[in-house]
Amino acid sequence: MRANYLLWVILTVFYAIVTAGYYLWWTLTYTGWEPIGTAALAMLTFMSAFLAFYLWKTDRTQGTVPEDRLDANIEDGESEMGFFAPWSWWPFFAGLSAAMVFASLAIGWWIFYISVPLGILSIVGYVFEHSRGQYAH
Amino acid sequence: MTSTPLAQNQAITINRPSATSVGTIVWLGSEVMFFAGLFAMYFSLRANAPEIWANDSQILDVQFALINTLILVASSFTAQFGVFAAERMQPRATGKSPLKWGLVEWFFLSYILGAIFVAGQVYEYAMLVSEGITLSSNSYGSAFYITTGFHALHVTGGLIAFLLIIGKTYAAKKFGHYEATGAIVVSYYWHFVDVVWIGLFLIIYVLK
Repeated sequence: MRANYLLWVILTVFYAIVTAGYYLWWTLTYTGWEPIGTAALAMLTFMSAFLAFYLWKTDRTQGTVPEDRLDANIEDGESEMGFFAPWSWWPFFAGLSAAMVFASLAIGWWIFYISVPLGILSIVGYVFEHSRGQYAH
Repeated sequence: MTSTPLAQNQAITINRPSATSVGTIVWLGSEVMFFAGLFAMYFSLRANAPEIWANDSQILDVQFALINTLILVASSFTAQFGVFAAERMQPRATGKSPLKWGLVEWFFLSYILGAIFVAGQVYEYAMLVSEGITLSSNSYGSAFYITTGFHALHVTGGLIAFLLIIGKTYAAKKFGHYEATGAIVVSYYWHFVDVVWIGLFLIIYVLK
């Protein structure tokens, strides 16, 4: 994970320099300062620092992974990738009701009143899918 | 170079970060840039109308907002104590003292603090509207309500997430990594929303 977080550290430093440079260049060339680019670049710095911090912390708690070792083979990296629900319909309905909520803002509020209850239903179904019925544990 | 399978040298168990946690972090990265857009909007509207800002931002009750901010920051700490409880696989309290609280008790406390924050926002909005600052009154009103409003929507989403995690914990007969992961990623989100508010507070109430 070392390479992963170092990449984001490099990006953090890069964006910090670019933010300062952009701000200075604008104030020296024109009057005042340009907020949109400065804010976007500053937040890119923040985002890179945030991801670098997460990867650094993960690296510290879990130790070396095969990707970090020059003497590792591809198959050494084989492990369980995570827990997924291959036949779940809940993400589809959660996405559909979210799409309907946003469409309602453009089309008409009456869709909002139909899609919000559907959204609540699908989020609850999604979250509790593995806590009830045959998956109860 | 030559390579030998690692498994021959040592028995390694690969412990990857959970896909849920990585996914949450990637999504929070995109959320950072969503708020970047809101900050950019706020600053560019302010740059175009400094006199409106000088006039309208005087109405803000900074002391009230500061207390509200401290409540939200406190809720981040209580959420973290909930995560510590989840990490030691303790869903419920084993005694009355907060030292013995479990995930559920800490998350209920975080929920209450977060709800006080949102209620404070609603009260503040009502006060500002009564003084004539509305979403459509001028660019200051738009910038104020859109930035703080999107943040309040995020806090509300976090409150719902707290309730869902509490519900999931009650539903589990055996509290395990599945429940703990949910609690941990909700705390990531909550800390993120808290940090964004500190940024918003400094820009809107302190810098004005």
